[in-house]
Amino acid sequence: MINRSETIIEAKALAFSYPGGEAGSSPALSGINLSIHRGEYVALLGPNGSGKTTLLKLFNALLAPSDGEVRVEGISTVEEENIPRIRRTCGMIFQNPDNQLVATTVEEDIAFGLENLALPSAEIRQRVEDVARILGLEALLRQQPHLLSGGEKQRVAIAGVLAMQPGCILMDEPTAMLDPAGRRDVIDTVRRLNSEQGIAVVHVTHFPGEAAFADRVIILSQGCLIRQGTPQEILTDLNLLHDLGLQGTTAVELAALLREDGFLLPPKLLNSRELVNSLCSLELIS
Amino acid sequence: MFIGTDKLTHTYMPGTPYATEALKEVTFSLQRGDFALIIGPSGSGKSTLIQHLNGLLKPTSGQVFFEDQTVGSDKKGLLLLRRRIGLVFQMPEDQFFSESVYDEVSFAPRNLGLGEDEIRSRVIDALEKVGLDAKQLQDRHPFQLSAGQKRLVAIAAVLSLNPEVFILDEPTSGLDPAGRKNLFNLLKMLNRTAGLTVIVSTHHLDDVAELADRVIVLQRGRLLMEGMTKDVFARRNELYDLGLALPEATEIMYGLAEKGLPVRTDIYNLAGARKEINKLRGRGKK
Repeated sequence: MINRSETIIEAKALAFSYPGGEAGSSPALSGINLSIHRGEYVALLGPNGSGKTTLLKLFNALLAPSDGEVRVEGISTVEEENIPRIRRTCGMIFQNPDNQLVATTVEEDIAFGLENLALPSAEIRQRVEDVARILGLEALLRQQPHLLSGGEKQRVAIAGVLAMQPGCILMDEPTAMLDPAGRRDVIDTVRRLNSEQGIAVVHVTHFPGEAAFADRVIILSQGCLIRQGTPQEILTDLNLLHDLGLQGTTAVELAALLREDGFLLPPKLLNSRELVNSLCSLELIS
Repeated sequence: MFIGTDKLTHTYMPGTPYATEALKEVTFSLQRGDFALIIGPSGSGKSTLIQHLNGLLKPTSGQVFFEDQTVGSDKKGLLLLRRRIGLVFQMPEDQFFSESVYDEVSFAPRNLGLGEDEIRSRVIDALEKVGLDAKQLQDRHPFQLSAGQKRLVAIAAVLSLNPEVFILDEPTSGLDPAGRKNLFNLLKMLNRTAGLTVIVSTHHLDDVAELADRVIVLQRGRLLMEGMTKDVFARRNELYDLGLALPEATEIMYGLAEKGLPVRTDIYNLAGARKEINKLRGRGKK
């Protein structure tokens, strides 16, 4: 069993400035204190340029802090020799699946990271088979990645990360380039890995509907962590979201408009089903 | 017919084992001033179709029309065509190559052989149209801009050609809600006020659906549906089976209708849903 009170990623007084930024320009991130726990699903929201992607890259040791520190399983991301272990622990999924598939078949692609670990080939084969089964990719193992749908490609990218037996998956807008079926596919997959395998997830998204599945929602603005809480607390706070140029789910936005019109709807409606049920229970038509 | 195709077929790598039929006998037409959406699962041929509309690809068979003329293959004709039909690719800012915003946006009009004064006025006009402050931004390096600003610069770089048809391939991916809203307001202005014919391929219908006059649905290179937005979106179950999704506001209306409330389901945005739900109360009081 995983110990959900244990920290897997910890940021302390973390700051980062991109080199060559204009003098006096504000840092990409500053003063970030944050702990991600084992098995936790965290959604990261914020306007473009608020530092979400930068934070993921710091978690994964793709960037080193300008100030403060990041520890993954207690080890610092600045020590060169720690980096391979950190990247195994925190796998990254990017927006565009085409940029992260490297091999000519799905199974080679899933095995790519394992081969770099110089594992025995029997072990590699076993792990590829295991993750293919978990992610429903068995039938696709001999396929060429470029022939897959967008959702399937993202699932292959996730499989490559999962094969490394990570404690945490970092995802940077993993559904932005996908069609609706692909979006559902990826979200369902990640939620299942989180709940069944206890893998922590940090999910950067512009879609409040995707953040609704998280245990905790964190809002970044201009490089600072400005709010965190449950999806119900954060995603129904339209004043907060609108001030930052963000939106609530359609259900949250519509419920707010209807409350202005005098509909007596409960305060924390988050999704369309809850809104429909609440409206029906108002007995508008006698 | 203003712009459209007749039995347009496109095969990638014909005559090889890798031959893929990306479009199969696609026929549709639009009137001048239409706002059209092209939707379909990943790999359905949307991007291929779009590239035909501005003469970037040659049909394997069939034809593309513009102003009742067949789009031919002579170079001069194609150059003229591409001035009048502007195309914004997916993630267009990935293709920036200039050192300043001004150079980026002036590239196309400069290639038209215009005088420096005319070029300058085109650049300023295009930047103003997309809502960017030309004075403040024209000397900046494109990479110093936010993601939303970059996208707008890329769009201005095409608008500087003063096109009559404006085609965008998945224009909102990676934009935050404020960026998406800006972009849709711009498209609305270009279509409703400036009279441009606008064609958008997208997976995200939530904001754009209410603007569309017509919808084209592709699946595996075939045209599956084509018609008025209302008529296409009424075929909800078929769209579902394709893995597509209607706007969330529409889903809420269907949810209410399924619970027996007398509401219209041809509603595509928040304002429409608010109005329709308010009507329920009126009926209740009678």
